This record gives sequence, C-alpha cells and structure tokens, in this order.
Amino acid sequence: MAWLHTWFGLVLGYVLIVVFFFGSLSVFDREIDRWALPETRFAPQPMPSFDRMLSPIFKQMKPEPAELEAARARVGGSLPAELAVMNWAVYTTHRDPVLAMYAEFAVPNNPNDPDDHVHGHVTIDPRNGRLLGDDQLKVGSEFFYPMHISLHVTWKDLGYWIVGLAALAMLAALVSGLVIHRRIFREFFTLRPRKHVQRSTLDLHNLTGVVALPFHFFFALTGLTIFAGIYLPVSETMLKPQAQAAAVHEAKAKGLPFKPAGVAAPLASVDAMVLEAKRRWAARGMAGEVGYLYVNHVGDRNSYVSLYRAGSDRVTLVGQPIHFEGTTGRVLYEEPPSSAVASVNDFLTGLHLQHFEHWLLRWFYVFGGLTGCVCIATGFIFFVEKRKRQHAQAGVSGARWVDAFAVTSVTGMLIATLAMLIANRVLPIELAQRGDWQKASFWGVWLLTFAHAAARGAMPRMTRLSPAWREQCLAVAALAPAAVILNWVTTGDHLLKTLAEGYWPVAGLDLALLAVGSIAAGAAVRLRRGERAVAAPAASLDEAAAAGAGTADREAARA
Amino acid sequence: MTTSQPTVGVVSRVAAALLGGWLFAWGFVTLGIMLLLRAGMPYSDARTLTYLLAFLVYLAGLCWSFAMRRARSAWLTLAGGGAAMTALAWWLARASL
Repeated sequence: MAWLHTWFGLVLGYVLIVVFFFGSLSVFDREIDRWALPETRFAPQPMPSFDRMLSPIFKQMKPEPAELEAARARVGGSLPAELAVMNWAVYTTHRDPVLAMYAEFAVPNNPNDPDDHVHGHVTIDPRNGRLLGDDQLKVGSEFFYPMHISLHVTWKDLGYWIVGLAALAMLAALVSGLVIHRRIFREFFTLRPRKHVQRSTLDLHNLTGVVALPFHFFFALTGLTIFAGIYLPVSETMLKPQAQAAAVHEAKAKGLPFKPAGVAAPLASVDAMVLEAKRRWAARGMAGEVGYLYVNHVGDRNSYVSLYRAGSDRVTLVGQPIHFEGTTGRVLYEEPPSSAVASVNDFLTGLHLQHFEHWLLRWFYVFGGLTGCVCIATGFIFFVEKRKRQHAQAGVSGARWVDAFAVTSVTGMLIATLAMLIANRVLPIELAQRGDWQKASFWGVWLLTFAHAAARGAMPRMTRLSPAWREQCLAVAALAPAAVILNWVTTGDHLLKTLAEGYWPVAGLDLALLAVGSIAAGAAVRLRRGERAVAAPAASLDEAAAAGAGTADREAARA
Repeated sequence: MTTSQPTVGVVSRVAAALLGGWLFAWGFVTLGIMLLLRAGMPYSDARTLTYLLAFLVYLAGLCWSFAMRRARSAWLTLAGGGAAMTALAWWLARASL
C-alpha cells in the first residue's frame, strides 16, 4: 500500500495538481472571463427573444474555418459552398452576461461517417444582439476550464484519458493513504509546524488529505463518472445495437422525430413556446428561466424545439425539458420527473459541476480544491526531502529532478497563470490572434519556470530546500499585485470602485490576487529565514525524523 | 529497484492493476447492462447505474491487485474475470437481438 501511495501519487501527482488547481479556478471561470474581457463587465442577463434577436443571428452563422478545413480533408476534397444546418443551441446560466450560441452543420459525402458534422458558434451581448469579436479568448471558461478537464491535449481524447488516470490514482492514493494511517482521527489534530521540514510537511500532507477526504474522493469519482462514456464506450462499440434501439424507441415514445423528413418548413414562434414552457414549470411549482434551448432538424418539417429549465436553484444542471413541434408550436412531450437512477446521477454530477446559485458553497469548493493542491505539493516536498541526501551521496539525480518538476507544477503553474492574466491586460487590443498570444504567454512562461527550477536545483546543497522555491514565491509576490494594478490602469475598474459598486466578479479576482501575492511574500520571507537558520549539516535531520515519527509514519518513511 | 527482475514484477503489477482493472470494469459494465436490460430496466438507466458503480469496481480491483502476493493472481482475476464477464455479456447481447 505504501508503494502504491508513493509511486502512483508521485507520477500522477504532477497531473493531479494541475487538475485540482484549474478545477478550483473553474468554479469562478465566468467571473475570470469578466476580468479578462472588460467589455463584458455587466450584469447577467436572461435569454433574449429568439424570434426577434437570436433567429436572425443563427441564420447568419457559419462553421468554424478550422473545422471546415479538417472536414474537407476527411471527405477527400470538395464540400458544397453552404453546409446544411442540423441543429441550433443556446445555453445560459445565472452568471452569464453574454450569451453563447452554437450550431452544427452536416458534412455530406463522408463514406466512413454518415453523421459527420462541423460546429459554429458566436457569443453575443443579449441586451442589443451585438456579436462579440472573434478573437475574444474567455480566459476562464475557454482556457482554465478545458485545462482542468483535458489539459488541452485533444488528440484522440488523450488529455481526458490522462486526467482520468490521474483521478483513478487519486482514489488509489486516498485509499492507500487511509490504510497507511489507520489511526486517522488523530491526523485531524496533528500539525507540528515548528519541527523540521520533513516532519511538518508530512503532518500538513496528512492533515490536508484527511480534512477534505470526502471532498477529494467525491470529486475524483464523479469526475470519472461524468466522462465514463469516454473511458468505457460500450454504447458506441459492443452494445451499439442495444443503444441504438433504445434511442429510436425513446424518440418514438416521446414523439420526437429521429431524422429529418427532407421537406422544408418554417419554424413557428419560439417565444410563444418559451412562454408556454415557463407557464408549465410554474404550474409544477418550479417557476424558472430557460437554461438550454435546442432546435433540432432546423428548417425541416420534422423540426422540434426542446426547452430545458435552468437549474440555478437546485443541484441538477438543467432539467424538466419540454419538447415542442417546430412547425406548429404545440407541445409534443413534457418529460416526466426523472427515474431514480437518473436523479441520483444528475445530483452527483450536478454537485461536481456546480451551476447552482450558492456562493458560500462555491467558495468551499475553491478551498477544497486548494487543500487538495496543498496535499499534493506537500507530498512532493516530503518525497524529495526524504531522499535528497541519499541521492546526492549516491550520485543519483532522481530527487533533484522530482524537485524541479515539483517547483514547476506548484509555484511555476501559479506564475504561468499570473503571466497569462498580465498578458491579457498588456497585449495591444488590435493585435492579431491576441487569444493565441495569451495562451503562448502561459505555456512559454511555464516552460521558463521549469528551466529556472532545473538550473537552481543543480547544486548539491545540504540546505533545506532548493532556492527555486523561494525565488518563484518572490515572482508570485510581484506578479499578483501587478495584475491587479494593470487591471486598474487598463480598465479604470480599481478595487475601491468595484467594491463600492458591488461588482464581485472583478473585485473578487482582484482580492484573490492580492491574497495570493501576500501569502507568497510571506512564504518567501519564511523560506529566507529557514535558509539562514540552517548551519549544521543535515546529519541530525534523519535522527530527528526517526525520533519524531510514530509507527504509521515509519511505514510511510520506508516507502 | 535497480535490477531488472523486480522491475518486471513492478511493471507487471502496475499493468495488472491498470489494464486488468480496466478490462474488469468493462466486463462489469457490459454484463451489468445486459442483465439489467433483461430485468426490464431502460437502456439509459442501465448504463447510468453501471457507470456510477464502474469506477468503484475499478478502484477496488486496482487496490486489490497491489494487495496480492503475486502479480499473476492479479492478472488472472482482473483480466481473466473481465474477459469472462465481457464474453458472457457478448453472448447475451447476440441472443437478445
């Protein structure tokens, strides 16, 4: 169990800390978008009129150029000038000032995949229908959030697999950690910060692991369940006939046409459908707004419109769908309450995805995620400090590289994130591909922090920690307030103003940045003091470790 | 772990846990769905329920693989059991069509 905990924890820990950190940021992804896109800093809006505002915009939408190119390659050459649109979708939550609109276009003539399609999307200001420019990178929801779920490695879903493996390793590390520390209750109350590094680090590692144990376990498990269709794709392979039969049967039972008729027909008033849906939800005692609007078989006689209620007041994401016949607007099917299995699943996954409106709980999520990061980071530090001396004496560089990667994935990742926010403020507005430049700043700076960590850890020192830790903490202490100042200088929305107005998306991030900077500054000061205090060689450290460790920890120390 | 013998053992153990465990989870899901379908549960519910349990099963297999004295026992139970469940599910799927 100790071997499992140490090696799965170490190898996948680097991935896991990235997933936990960007997961924590993703709780407030849309608020980070507001900070990054100042022209969207207005209050969240309800979904606007489909007939008057959304329909004309949908009719103008075109597929993404990059996807069109890829599709051309897939079908071996020529595509018609105008691809037929298959479906339209609109999605909004209680936190969105701007509205996201999506379309799917059919790609004909693909011998391998008759359902081949490409996507298009735009973002609009729902108050006036103005399109947001193309190159407006939503730093929170389009960069930090995908980083959390797939590390931006999209080739063949490889990123999802890596994150999934890390989640599985997390579960294994939690179980094995429990087995190692059977007397778990005392871990809640054990923190000896004044002991030397190995002891206090291990204490903090155990404490953060145990205090948020249900949280860590739950999020890793639901993360896997949410993407179970990727990890165990039974419906697309071995059980495809059963899945298809069920889909057709379900569509028939609901009265929803599975395929288009091939006959053109206009769409009736969707606004009237929205009114009817709201009336029905209110009649069921759950009055609400439309969270998700879906038009299938656009422009066809078989078209239908599905309206889902936004779940801001409950854990489940969206629900209570009502389906309308596209050409007439009459109700085809009002879905009954979910089955027991579906309700349980929606509740569990809804807890992970947290689209509900409960700010205190969301902050708890952030602290839970950051606690997980501390657990992983202290795990790295403990691993390195325990082995540093032995490795240096044996001429093996293992601990040094583990340490360099650890610095990169803890302080380095923080520096890269801050660099991206700063680039977002500093890059000229008219710069072509501004979004790509912001991403490049993130990756480039992260690489630099690795180079720094590798270089600074090279000297075999008997001091406690690589100087890279302190130096990167200093960088964080400088960059975080710099980002706040740049926000003020480039947008005029300084903290006093946003606090007075109660505009929390920007005020919250600015305050969080200042808090991060102060913590990093404090850490740098303490590390400096620690460096100066080390006088005697580390010979006494291992004896102190053995003396301070209990039975359980001796087993961990053997790992 | 510097000699090659223990390394092969380690690789085998990890592979049994990850690959064998995955196959075991696959078998659990496919067999679970087919049995639930037979019991009258709709397909989407059957798939959702087995997915909810699948990763607990995978985790149990993974931890158990490391608790075994020999990697071979882990391989036999996880990969072997997974293959057996998958085969049974396959047969049930063909029979129901």
